[in-house]
Amino acid sequence: MSAHILTVDDSASIRMTTRIALTGAGYQVTEAVDGVDGLAKAKGGRFDMIVTDLNMPNMNGLAMIQALRASPAHTGIPIIFLTTESDAEMKAQAKAAGATGWITKPFDPEQLVKITRKVLGK
Amino acid sequence: MNKHIRKHETDLLWRDREDVAVLTFNLNGETFAIEATVVQEILDLLPETRVPGAKAFLGGVINFRGKVIPLADIRLAFGMEAGEATIDSRIIVVQLDIDGEPCLVGIRTDKVYEVTTLAQASSEPPPSIGMRWRADFIDCLVKRNGEFIIVPNLKKIFSVDVTPTGMLFTG
Amino acid sequence: MNLMDPVQVFRMEAAELFVVIEEGLLDLLGDLSNQAQIDAVFRGLHTLKGSGSMFGFEALAAFTHHCETAFDRVRKGEVPATAELVAAVLEAQDHMKALVDTPNGDHEATGNGLLAKLQAAVGAKAAQGCVVAAPLPAAVAGTSSAAAPAATRWRLRFRLPVNAMANGTNPLGLLDELADLGDCTIKADTSAIPSLDAIEPDDLHIGWTVELTTTQPQPRAAIEDVFIFVMDDMEMVLEEVSSAPAPAVASAPTPALAPTSVALPLADAAPSEPARAVNTAPAIADAKQTKPAAENVRVPAERLDELMDRVGELVIAQSRLSQLAGVSADIQLRSVSEDVERLSGELRDTMMVLRMVPVGSLFGRFRRLVHDLARETGKEIELVTEGETTEVDKTVIERLADPLVHLVRNSIDHGLEMPEDRLASGKARAGRVTLSARQAGGEVIITIRDDGRGIDRERVRAKAEASGLIQPGQMLLDQELLQLILQPGFSTAAQITSLSGRGVGMDVVKKTVEALRGVIDMQSTPGEGSEISLRIPLTLAIIDGLLVRVGTGSYVIPLSAVEECLELSAEEDLRSRGRSFISLRDHLVPFLRLRELFRTGTPPDRYQKMVVISTGNERVGLVVDQIIGDHQTVIKAMSKLHHDVVTFSGATILGDGNVALILDVTHLVTVGQQQEAQLRAAG
Repeated sequence: MSAHILTVDDSASIRMTTRIALTGAGYQVTEAVDGVDGLAKAKGGRFDMIVTDLNMPNMNGLAMIQALRASPAHTGIPIIFLTTESDAEMKAQAKAAGATGWITKPFDPEQLVKITRKVLGK
Repeated sequence: MNKHIRKHETDLLWRDREDVAVLTFNLNGETFAIEATVVQEILDLLPETRVPGAKAFLGGVINFRGKVIPLADIRLAFGMEAGEATIDSRIIVVQLDIDGEPCLVGIRTDKVYEVTTLAQASSEPPPSIGMRWRADFIDCLVKRNGEFIIVPNLKKIFSVDVTPTGMLFTG
Repeated sequence: MNLMDPVQVFRMEAAELFVVIEEGLLDLLGDLSNQAQIDAVFRGLHTLKGSGSMFGFEALAAFTHHCETAFDRVRKGEVPATAELVAAVLEAQDHMKALVDTPNGDHEATGNGLLAKLQAAVGAKAAQGCVVAAPLPAAVAGTSSAAAPAATRWRLRFRLPVNAMANGTNPLGLLDELADLGDCTIKADTSAIPSLDAIEPDDLHIGWTVELTTTQPQPRAAIEDVFIFVMDDMEMVLEEVSSAPAPAVASAPTPALAPTSVALPLADAAPSEPARAVNTAPAIADAKQTKPAAENVRVPAERLDELMDRVGELVIAQSRLSQLAGVSADIQLRSVSEDVERLSGELRDTMMVLRMVPVGSLFGRFRRLVHDLARETGKEIELVTEGETTEVDKTVIERLADPLVHLVRNSIDHGLEMPEDRLASGKARAGRVTLSARQAGGEVIITIRDDGRGIDRERVRAKAEASGLIQPGQMLLDQELLQLILQPGFSTAAQITSLSGRGVGMDVVKKTVEALRGVIDMQSTPGEGSEISLRIPLTLAIIDGLLVRVGTGSYVIPLSAVEECLELSAEEDLRSRGRSFISLRDHLVPFLRLRELFRTGTPPDRYQKMVVISTGNERVGLVVDQIIGDHQTVIKAMSKLHHDVVTFSGATILGDGNVALILDVTHLVTVGQQQEAQLRAAG
């Protein structure tokens, strides 16, 4: 059974790229449009990994990660965040919130697949 | 009980405090008091520059440490007679809050007495009739040693009147 | 449109983002403190940049980055949201649209101009931070050299952060990755595992020692890349044990020299375009280390104000010194006093120059406004700016921004006609709005001129009468009638459109200008257009004044307003009594006897003097008792309690410590004009 990945991003084009890249690599992908949507979907389904943007309306990625880590059912699930800049502060905050790793935009779809493989293992 | 009955809308001095430190001074033989915390400095008389067109009780300015501040004679606001300067005359510089901004103003006095404590229990609102002066310019009267000390309502007296006097237009 | 093409999706998304950003910005223009809109604009810019960079719009990403950074700083409270900044970003947005539409076009020059404005709006720090987002080093396979890499042997001891598993890191995955790099032996270190009752199931207490033999070309980087996400929080000791016995090639890279913390290689996939784009903007981050000698120094505005205060005090002390020296017989004292006088004068002038900025920064923001207004009103508008290099005190620039926006809106909204109407009346289709600035004497004059229909005086009168500002049929000078527009009570409700209804009212324009000790002149010719001039004193804190005596009081008249000084002979004085006009080179000039005006109650000096002052075209004589002379005047504001006194614009402290009041020239001229009108009306 292929792993199931949740992608959370307010940018439709980024969601699309993520979906194309990951489905192409054999993963199953569900999309969410902001932190609130992402949190609801994460809690309502079973995902092997979450890829999320940080800057989003309604609930930002940081708050979503914190909320997920606060729930025992979601400790241990790998969460990769997308960050546009080498913003050390943002990165540190996301790591402190419990993120597993990050991808710096712009990223190559291949990079995303590679990271996904790295995080999920074989 | 008393406290609440006596409270009236211009009760600026007490603000639920039992005792308040004040500076007392003399104007035309009457004893006045203003809250000590607003007093910045007590000065000997300084050369005053007349401001033509200003309200009579705010008719001049002085140089207070490099700032130009108004010199007020609150007697004139009350409708009392202006007095001659004497050897005891002093200026009390106070800082008021005018429209949310601190504002320095000098108050001319005939004599400055002392910093003392007034008790809220001896305070009375100004009687609405039988007063020689405008009651709304008085915050309260405080009885002490058989005499009444007048606590002026500085906020009211100095409330900024936005309409220009337009002296030159009517003149 | 191919909706399976992310680039097309991005273009659609960008169009939506532009709407969000623009709405946010326009709302901010109305309320600069609107945090929700600041956040919205920031998010919009952020998404635009991030997605843009994903789909090959590198130039867009690089450019948007600067706007985003600016708003990030606003969002974090590091810089205030200013109208200038909002306008700069609004203007920048058009450029971003162009970068989406034609990503390969030549936009560099425009972009640089806009960035300069943006930087001016937030301070140069806006350009801080590098736009090049380094791609993930983990993905770097390295540009493998053709030569067969040598095998190296490494010993690695590491302990992951205790919460690594809870945060989604799988230690076994990491060990697998290490195994992928070459042959390895793995030993677990379980010494740190706590007793069973103290253990948290998600916590990680195991450390590992790994011996790895690898032929990776850059083995240290490859090993570290495995731990990229946990590197900062973990313990790790990585050492090369010895070169593998086999083909120990001397020319092999010497990884041991590679520092562990920096120099992560950039991937080939890294877009090279943004790197170039960065060079076009000042690379501030680098500049910190290597500042060119001629670099500007940025000083907080308050420091300048403090310095200004000190200079003011110095000038006062100097004038006291001059006075003492003047009555002293000590030649050396006089000489020192003259030196101090010269120096403090020069210091004052230098200080003034420090505070001056070109008015162009103010004008720049109007292009967008005009652009928007043209779109919304359907009018064709040409904006002409003149005299952008005219320098004005920084405070003036800051304070005039909003009033000017309002005046330009007003001109376009109420002044300019629709293209067809213009053609019908023999004008060019496009209306012209001219913004100009120039210095004249001690003033800077900023003019907003349009070639529209002009102010309808009958309508102004009708409105003023309806709103009770004037009596029906009241006699008014033309200037007075026009100035009614600036009165607070002058209802503009009937004229409010979606555009001019936003922002400040005309009365606020008037208040702002007056607070700057300035004047508003208005001219309007029906059918030909209107012109509104804001005349602002060049400097705000120190002026050259003429010290005069009226009765026993000293007064200062701003020298910039003084045209000439005359003696009023006893005969002239007598002749003019009751008439208050003097004939000056065939012109009748009204005059005011300040002694009477100020009710000094003193008899006039024998030889009365007259100081003729002017504001623009209007002149009035002021009769004084004595002209004392020039006086460098440090302006002190009048107390708030004296704001009802309109005759004086401020006060100053004389050398002897006494206070002299500064005459409000504009006001006195107005009084003179009124007097003239009354006398003429009386015949």
